[in-house]
Amino acid sequence: MSVMQETDLTTLTAAIMAGKRKDAKRITQEALDATLSPQAILDALKVGMDDVGRRFKANEIFVPEVLVAARAMKTAMELLEPVLVASGIQPEFKVVIGTVEGDLHDIGKNLVSMMLKGANFEVIDLGTNVGTQAFIDAVKESGAQLVGLSALLTTTMPAMKETVEAMREQGLDVKVMVGGAPITDAFATEIGADGFSPDAASAVDLARELVGAAA
Amino acid sequence: MTSKQRVLASVSHQEPDRLAVDFGGCFITGVHCSVVESLRDHFGLEKRPVKIAEPYQMLGLVEDDLKDVMGIDVESIFPNRTIFGFVNENWKEYHTWWGQTVLVSEHFQVEDREDGTYMYPQGDRSAPPSGHMPKTGYFFDTIVRQEEYDEDDLKVEENLEEFGPMTAEEEAYWHAEAERVRGTDRAVITHLNGTCLGDIALVPAPFLKYPKGVRGIEDWYMILASDPEFVMELFDRQTEIALANMEKLNAIAGDVIDIVVVCGTDFGTQESTFCSVDNLREIWMPRYQRINNWIHENTQWKTFKHSCGAIEPLIPTFIECGFDILNPVQCSAKGMEAPGLKEKYGDQITFWGGGVNTQQTLPFGTPGEVKAEVLERARTFGPGGGFVMNAIHNVQALTPTENIVAMLDAINEYNTAGV
Repeated sequence: MSVMQETDLTTLTAAIMAGKRKDAKRITQEALDATLSPQAILDALKVGMDDVGRRFKANEIFVPEVLVAARAMKTAMELLEPVLVASGIQPEFKVVIGTVEGDLHDIGKNLVSMMLKGANFEVIDLGTNVGTQAFIDAVKESGAQLVGLSALLTTTMPAMKETVEAMREQGLDVKVMVGGAPITDAFATEIGADGFSPDAASAVDLARELVGAAA
Repeated sequence: MTSKQRVLASVSHQEPDRLAVDFGGCFITGVHCSVVESLRDHFGLEKRPVKIAEPYQMLGLVEDDLKDVMGIDVESIFPNRTIFGFVNENWKEYHTWWGQTVLVSEHFQVEDREDGTYMYPQGDRSAPPSGHMPKTGYFFDTIVRQEEYDEDDLKVEENLEEFGPMTAEEEAYWHAEAERVRGTDRAVITHLNGTCLGDIALVPAPFLKYPKGVRGIEDWYMILASDPEFVMELFDRQTEIALANMEKLNAIAGDVIDIVVVCGTDFGTQESTFCSVDNLREIWMPRYQRINNWIHENTQWKTFKHSCGAIEPLIPTFIECGFDILNPVQCSAKGMEAPGLKEKYGDQITFWGGGVNTQQTLPFGTPGEVKAEVLERARTFGPGGGFVMNAIHNVQALTPTENIVAMLDAINEYNTAGV
């Protein structure tokens, strides 16, 4: 068998796009064994997830396909991450994400989290039912540039507002993006958030815009 | 017209004497218990604790006196076990964190912990809890209890534990309920058991003590993409079991039932669908057709399909599946604007819902905004029938009473003035 070349990483991109976890794992391992550049491997994964995001936005694929793609990406990253760390390659931007207090819903939040990881953000996921102080602490500890707040319920929308207000009162130098079923652009503006995204793929575009990252 | 005639006329696409109305008829057209209490107070009805018809969403029972003043045209037969797997019987008082005293089943067994209230399946405190209401939450969410599973060796039986032939207990329940509602002049609506095919609220099986198989929400969605053959085999088995149970149900209570909620499986998000039209046609349609065809060949029941979200591209397929009624008609979702839906599909499927937005207008709007929206929807959906007035999904906690009153005023105004 010939040794893997960087040009062969298109197969890794294809495995991510098709959500083939086992293929993604095998090819990533082969790429690492062939001592390909970890940045090149990472880029191949990112190209795959970018394509998944594009097709999701265009309604060509749906939540199940995005989930299997993200899982394939995660499997590959488990192998790649130690090598990236050893090479000093770190995500440029950090985002703290969570579902606000009183709300246990996390599919949407998890999708956003996965897509952001795919776009090479470092994601600090606080989970669900996250109190205001936990968001503030996480931002302070991590130095994140961005916070993502999610809510599914009309009854927890006030908690989203309180969280944004508390972060502003603390003077945190952080952008805030919000999303979730009942959330609208108007609500985002009303509560002083910096942006609203209607779906997980658009959330990546918004996140890049808010932190000034290149696409 | 009686209430029953009104509903049946409308679902047969004949315009009734006034709008047919449902609040509280089933678990997706319900009213949060706190709102039921405030409505009872508003209308000066007898002060008594509201019964929790469904503990998962903490839906209150809308009793006859409240139905009368709200002009509600439906009568419910709820499933004999709640979503947490227990029978609603031997009511006891329960004090909610928001200060309401309600009545719950004696099997409603909960434990307060630091981060909220935990519910035990089947009232069994020795099993791991299956529901969690956060400290500031107004209903329970399912606790996913996903055990390890081998993706390459999925076992259909493990995801079939909750599907089985009707038990003697259920038969007795149906006999009693049929007697209770026989002769009512309201239209009788009930939930069928086991026909939803992958309702994501039921996949984690909050009613089971130790669920096996694929039970996680994301796990389930991924299986749909990675192993549709498994899902189709599972759905075939569920359909077989359901058809046998429907035969029994028809023999016991077929004559009293008017509408059956076949399916609460959601196919939409705010922005899009959960699957392609092709997937719906391959994975679900043949099974839904078997169920609905059996119903139409053997009963007079009308078939009710619930799906939230932006599902307009799927509606022609739902019609082809044999669904007579679509709920909750989420007009605020992408592509779900009321006039377009009525024009394209109004003569083929009944819109049960769509009356007012429960994510924005009803909880957060002014009474004037509520009234305007309800009137607009009534004028759009009402003419020619094919419409049962209901909010878009359950009326949520913290909804102002004056907004619900404004909604009822709008219904009255439409009934008086017409289009």
